[in-house]
Amino acid sequence: MANIKNVAVVIAAVILVTAVTISFSSYVGEVEQMQQNRNVAPEKIMGAPVLGSETADITIIEVGDYQCHMCKLWFEKTRPDIIENYIDTGKANLIFIDMPFLGRDSTKASEATYCANDQGKYWEYHSKLFEYQQEIDDGWAKIERLSAIAFSLNLDMEEFNACLQDNHYYPQINLNKAKAVTDFGAKSTPTFVIINTSGDTQKIIGAQPYSSFEEVINSML
Amino acid sequence: MNAILGLVYTKPSYIFLTTAIFFLLFIPLIIISEFLFFEPFVVFSIYPETVLSFSLIASLSIFSALAVSLNLYRVKLIKETRKIGSSIIGTMLGASAGACSCGPIAFSIITTFGTAGSIATSFLTIYEIPIRLTSIGILIAVIYVTTKSLSRECKVKS
Repeated sequence: MANIKNVAVVIAAVILVTAVTISFSSYVGEVEQMQQNRNVAPEKIMGAPVLGSETADITIIEVGDYQCHMCKLWFEKTRPDIIENYIDTGKANLIFIDMPFLGRDSTKASEATYCANDQGKYWEYHSKLFEYQQEIDDGWAKIERLSAIAFSLNLDMEEFNACLQDNHYYPQINLNKAKAVTDFGAKSTPTFVIINTSGDTQKIIGAQPYSSFEEVINSML
Repeated sequence: MNAILGLVYTKPSYIFLTTAIFFLLFIPLIIISEFLFFEPFVVFSIYPETVLSFSLIASLSIFSALAVSLNLYRVKLIKETRKIGSSIIGTMLGASAGACSCGPIAFSIITTFGTAGSIATSFLTIYEIPIRLTSIGILIAVIYVTTKSLSRECKVKS
């Protein structure tokens, strides 16, 4: 009996050490990737809808998953101040790159935003998803619920449902996911890459407060 | 209980050990849970919605530090390692809850283990609060049992 307990303790300790090692190596990897990814050209992110002026001096790229709780926290706490002070004033624009990895409904939710984009309501749909977000894969982002959100935005339901059921934007979402990892070095959500017209790049990892964004953006303007 | 805590923590080495264990748990957990950021600037951020999560992390770190140091004292006293297992299991449970969420650990687990990893990280994220409360309960029970047995063993020794 004592032996079994000793083995259990050793296994628990090994798992703890492994988790810390993974966390540390991920952090080091992110820092290295950040060094490599300086000067990411804004044209690489074409295809994703832009919020704000396309000619703004600063582009903020948000890499996110619609089922990520920290993305919702950022959406609610930090994003409104960025919209007010940088997007609405024409100093910056915002692009959302999908990295659906948290659950099986994440990809479909991302696809739905592009189907809404076909009818000119990408950002409205994007906002609704974060407003309605619940737990991962608990059914809030199932196809029926995604259709209900489209209905609430007065989208043409026949067109929207056909787009969603045909997996029309599945390749686009997969491309976004690949870009998020390879071009922007994202290993978690939300990750932000901020680029200015000179090609200088800064990365912000996590749902950081507005003050972090303000300091970075002002230093790049 | 107070007498035993007084007995253990009058020794500076145990105060140091407890403080070290607390920070070894607390700092990584608040980084993983996105309360503390180092890049691009050092920023600490807490919102009303995350106060409960932060409080549970702080409590878990305090109780883990107490449970482990008390058990190490007990090991030195009677060369018996039985209860350290419970402290480590309690700490592990609490530390893993919610630590995955959207962070790099979840990404690594999901990309490595696929669907199984996704289910595991979802579970740990969804049940973050109950899991942390359970582990705090385990740690409190470990502290209580350890102080009880220490007071008994100290009496026998004296």
